[in-house]
Amino acid sequence: MDEIRFIDLEVNPAAKNMAIDEAIMLAMRDGAAPPTFRIYRWKPSAVSIGTFQGMTEEVDVDFCRAHGIDVVRRMTGGGAVYHDFEGEITYSILLPQGHRLVPSDILKSYEILCAGIVAALGHLGIDAQFSPVNDIVAGGKKISGNAQTRRHGIVLQHGTTLLDLDVEKMFSVLKVSKEKVSDKMIRDVKQRVTSIRDALGRHVEMSELRDALVQGFSEALDISLVPGRLSSEENKVAEDLARTKYSSTEWNFAR
Amino acid sequence: MYHGEYKVPGGKLIKVSFSLSEGVIESIRFTGDFFLHPETALSELEEHLVGEVVDETALSERIASFFDDGGVQAIGCSANDFAHVVVLAVQHAP
Repeated sequence: MDEIRFIDLEVNPAAKNMAIDEAIMLAMRDGAAPPTFRIYRWKPSAVSIGTFQGMTEEVDVDFCRAHGIDVVRRMTGGGAVYHDFEGEITYSILLPQGHRLVPSDILKSYEILCAGIVAALGHLGIDAQFSPVNDIVAGGKKISGNAQTRRHGIVLQHGTTLLDLDVEKMFSVLKVSKEKVSDKMIRDVKQRVTSIRDALGRHVEMSELRDALVQGFSEALDISLVPGRLSSEENKVAEDLARTKYSSTEWNFAR
Repeated sequence: MYHGEYKVPGGKLIKVSFSLSEGVIESIRFTGDFFLHPETALSELEEHLVGEVVDETALSERIASFFDDGGVQAIGCSANDFAHVVVLAVQHAP
């Protein structure tokens, strides 16, 4: 069974979370880090946008600044995600290209890696399915979004799993004209998006989701998660990238 | 400036903003929630389209050969979808 370094649930600002992914990728490229799985939360709550999205097109940046919500551009494509500190856990998995879990067919590799989330939700009692290209749905509603990039011979996939959903907050953060945030629109979103607590109709602790993700990824991917930590070099690179790239206007507002 | 949006059926959203000079693209920028591998391909594509006329077939072929030549994989969208959103922007211009 493949051994994968496991960096357990941490809490970081947005820039640091994105910088850690890139730092691990660079260390793996240099042969200085093993394949890695990490889970993390965002504090303060943050919105991340896809690498090709327009920041001001997607995000109400003034609202975010006024409410202490971080904004960051990811290195992966895909859409804007609101990462509520109390409402979700994000994972990242980094594997070398050619690893059995990341075939050259990108669509296939999404399905293989997303099986970890599907299994995690299964452990919580939620019947979920992979929904191509990059989503996981429960009862026909999106509960997890995922995004992948391949650089330097490394595949990075990260994604969010919703524990709770605050539609009003989501609309305040993402750019939808305030007039449009009508009751109807909120109902429409609730018909398209769900969360673990919605799906189960009960309170679910953050720790239950953490445990389910660890178990789900281990089983579905047939990997052994070995507790580990970032090397001092990875930490240094992550701190540099957080400061010089993922906190910069040049990167975050590049589009 | 021309602005267009196109939601690919069953796929992603592509937005475009561009300017024309004497009938050809002067500068162009795509945004959206699509995936391109490698990601560096998008700004290269934008440079590649400067000087092109807005014709869906010609643009589509130009973009498809750019993707082929660079081994670019588009997910949730196709070369033709990028051409289509440009043409839509001109058609819907006020």
